[in-house]
Amino acid sequence: MTIFLDILLCFGVVLAQATFSTILSAKGIYPDLCFILACVMGFHSGEYKGLRIGLTVGLFQDLFSPGGIGLNMILKGLAGALAGVTTHTFSTVTSPAILLVSFALSLGCGLASLVVAYPVVDAPILFHALSSGLLPQGLYNSLLTLGTFWVIKCIGPSLSMVHLGRGPR
Amino acid sequence: MPRSETNFPISTSIRRVLGVIFILFLALLLFLPRQSQEWLSHVGGPFARILEVPLHVVASIQDSIRHAWDHYIALQNVWEENQQLKQEVQRLQGEQNFLREHAIIAMQFQQLLAYQETTPMTTLPARIIGRNVSNWYRAIIINKGNQDGIHPEMGVITDAGVVGRVVRVNPTTAVVLLLSDPNVAITGMIQKSRDEGLVQGTPQGTIHMKYLPPLSPVQAGDPVVTSGLTDDFPRGLQIGRIQQVTKADTDLFQLGEIDPIVEFSKLEAVLVITSFQPDPPSSLPKPPVSPSP
Repeated sequence: MTIFLDILLCFGVVLAQATFSTILSAKGIYPDLCFILACVMGFHSGEYKGLRIGLTVGLFQDLFSPGGIGLNMILKGLAGALAGVTTHTFSTVTSPAILLVSFALSLGCGLASLVVAYPVVDAPILFHALSSGLLPQGLYNSLLTLGTFWVIKCIGPSLSMVHLGRGPR
Repeated sequence: MPRSETNFPISTSIRRVLGVIFILFLALLLFLPRQSQEWLSHVGGPFARILEVPLHVVASIQDSIRHAWDHYIALQNVWEENQQLKQEVQRLQGEQNFLREHAIIAMQFQQLLAYQETTPMTTLPARIIGRNVSNWYRAIIINKGNQDGIHPEMGVITDAGVVGRVVRVNPTTAVVLLLSDPNVAITGMIQKSRDEGLVQGTPQGTIHMKYLPPLSPVQAGDPVVTSGLTDDFPRGLQIGRIQQVTKADTDLFQLGEIDPIVEFSKLEAVLVITSFQPDPPSSLPKPPVSPSP
């Protein structure tokens, strides 16, 4: 049942990313809802759940993405797992920690995608990507991750019993 | 002692006599001349005026209550009617918007279908159902897939011009990479000068035409069309217009920046080129042969 709900959640988020992400865009910067989902799950329910959700949502994202299948799956899976590991091993789940970790993860995922997506990555392209894409998107993603995490934590107990598994340690 | 004597110090016989006189007086009033009745009314006038005051007060209270009640009821009806009308207006606005939206979509499809009928290419119309699932590509998702005969590398156009190329195909959907993405490159041609080059997107979202010959007389405003050298687009489809041409001293070729003819952010429906007949070289008009001397 939990796996079914996970798949349903991932599918819904990919669908939202494909259809409604333009509504959430700020000055041409789109939030990566799949990344946010993976990270929130990692922060909230631990590294294994983050990894599982990240892999699933990444796979669905790859199916509707022009790049090769596997890139988003690996990146989102890693992001979910690392979000769980970093906050549960090296830090407590506080707002600055979530912001910092999700920003770093978003930046890492963005750089990896950039290297794979663009045929040539030279210094001007990298500078342009950093200034107009990677950094603003990282900030946006991390803010949304923080907001979503605290919303889930506030409405948490009932939701976590149904679907999200155990809460933060 | 009898009860009547205790209440009234008048005997029963006197009371009877007074009663008879009173009845006679009343009867007499009916037969009195008009003047006497007026005199009586003058006598009773002050009493009437005194009585009028509470009568008016009661009547005005009654009127005001009736008035208020009528207004309340009327207002309540008006309020209800107002609410109903508001709901009706909202419903009609929604319906109008829905119909307008459908009319626009129908018009777009009509344009596309009209173009589809006139063009020699075999094309398949498709609707755009999603955009940019990943942030690192400029892509759209269309509602036709390999069940409809779509394959990767097929060209995608509108009646205006070139949109992009199919890169991933699912059973009922396909992912189209837009011309503004750096991963898409098609061969283009300056329509006036017939100089060929490679049209490719950039990470910034603009479109460049690379490898233009250094001596090409290309100018801003020149139209750029497909050259037909690649398998996915036939010759002569519009791409855009040259916005500016640059060439550094160290560069071997000129570089043109293209203003695309298709507004990628406003696309709603496209045509996928499933097949087309490339122009055979023999169909080109032969140059006139001058008679040999």
